[in-house]
Amino acid sequence: MRRGRPISLLKTVGVLLAKDLLIEWRTRARLNALIFFALATLLLFSFAVGPDTKVLARNAGGYLWLALLFASVLALGESFRVEQENLTLDGLRLAPADARAIFLSKALGNALLLMLLGALLIPVMVALYGVDVAMGVGPFAATVTLGCMAISAPGTVYSAIASNARARDVLLPLLLFPLIIPALLAAAKATSLVLQGDPMNQLGSWFGLLIGFNLIYWGLGFLLFPRVIED
Amino acid sequence: MSTALHTYTLLAQVGSGRIQGGWEYIWTAFLIAWASLSLYSLSLWLRRPGKAVNDSKE
Amino acid sequence: MSDVMKTVLQVLSAAAALTSVFLGAWLGRKWAPPGSRYNARPVLLGMTAAALGLLALGNYLGLVWTPPEREMGDVYRIIYVHVPAMWMAMLALTVNFACCVGYLLQSSWKTDALAESTAEVGLLFGGYGLVLGAIWGKPTWGTYWDWDPRLTAMAIMLVTYVAYMALRRFVEDPEKRAVWSSVVGIISFVNLPIVWFSVKWWRSLHQVQSTPKTVDPDMTLALRVNAWATLILLTLFLLHRYRIALATREAEVALPEALPTDVPGPRDNHASEVA
Repeated sequence: MRRGRPISLLKTVGVLLAKDLLIEWRTRARLNALIFFALATLLLFSFAVGPDTKVLARNAGGYLWLALLFASVLALGESFRVEQENLTLDGLRLAPADARAIFLSKALGNALLLMLLGALLIPVMVALYGVDVAMGVGPFAATVTLGCMAISAPGTVYSAIASNARARDVLLPLLLFPLIIPALLAAAKATSLVLQGDPMNQLGSWFGLLIGFNLIYWGLGFLLFPRVIED
Repeated sequence: MSTALHTYTLLAQVGSGRIQGGWEYIWTAFLIAWASLSLYSLSLWLRRPGKAVNDSKE
Repeated sequence: MSDVMKTVLQVLSAAAALTSVFLGAWLGRKWAPPGSRYNARPVLLGMTAAALGLLALGNYLGLVWTPPEREMGDVYRIIYVHVPAMWMAMLALTVNFACCVGYLLQSSWKTDALAESTAEVGLLFGGYGLVLGAIWGKPTWGTYWDWDPRLTAMAIMLVTYVAYMALRRFVEDPEKRAVWSSVVGIISFVNLPIVWFSVKWWRSLHQVQSTPKTVDPDMTLALRVNAWATLILLTLFLLHRYRIALATREAEVALPEALPTDVPGPRDNHASEVA
């Protein structure tokens, strides 16, 4: 395997990412469907839990991340299905594109998509659950970014695997959900603190967990993804 | 009805020192352990290679 | 029981267990591969007898011989089956991790077969170990499930490895199955410390540990005997399961044209077409 120099790796990632984003933009219908799915999930939580605004406000962080996680399964599943339909992944691999560049571009693309979803869900959440962003936009944006990246890295690896197996629609969430529990936990807790205030300064430790999780799984994905898609 | 009473009697003693009795929990636990190990052994036996069904080409 | 007897018992049970592990590894090489003509029956019978005998002794020590615990009375005796099960589960999953790494470095059907076996056996011990933990919780915490960090982490790991087994079942190409399950196995095992820490933090406000407060040396002896006995059982289970896996692999790899292919049919949802 040719060892790419760092700059050419980044350039490849950029090219691949631009391609994926362009395809996403051209097939906006899918993006719209994802947004509405996530919105519908948020709404469903309100109905399932009941109109007690205090309970909803307290758990809003959890609901946001559950909605994002459910939407991510759809988004991740699609990101490799597109490749599979036209066997374009083989085309990508035949072109001198480092498999690791494919991983980075796919994972970044998925993360960006999820962050976009998160950004769109926030005003809805504020309205539905009557929450206030007590700690300000900065920490909130950081939480959403870290959480989405945490879902995206292992999700991309697992999506590449599941898209080639039987029962792939069940296999991806089955693989991803237990893995992602620490990140879900941290992201939901951090979001709750951002929304409701952090008198005991716990946000730092939850951010630490999220950052650690991201470092480990982006690293592992970078290392292992080539083995997943090689023949 | 008497098991509920027994359970509450048990729970009432948590935190106040020794828990009395509770042997039904112990037996349940040990039985589940033995049953799990036995059932798994059985499943290994049923799947063993060399049996006609397991080795037939189909 | 005199102190000498206790020491003898400790040494003997450890020796029996470690000998069984070596015998198991040896049989794994000599008897398990398909086509082996070695008559393993005497050795297997010996190991099984040792396992059952030691288990019976351990259970007797745990149920009858050891004294009640100062705070938990008799209920603590569940640790004599719960703790060995958890230890064996962790051991099996650790070996699974080693196999997954090993397979990616040097592919071999034997490594893959061992990975499959350790995951399944790990799930067995972890599964009933978890149930036993919940049963122990009822009289001690008042509830079957207290989100205790150790049990919660184990529950998460069990679901993780069930997913691993599902992946193995849903991939028909043996080589892809081996590579992908190695990747998933590595990721799953690396997740264990992360899960452990995060659940501990998450629960750190509410924790009341329910380990026995007293560490009576007789209790330690009983626990060790039970643990060694369970180790022999683990070895036997792994050996048999490994042999089954190797036989299955041989059947698969010898008849590739009989297997359905792995490429699922194209989905007709036109997702890649412009809206």
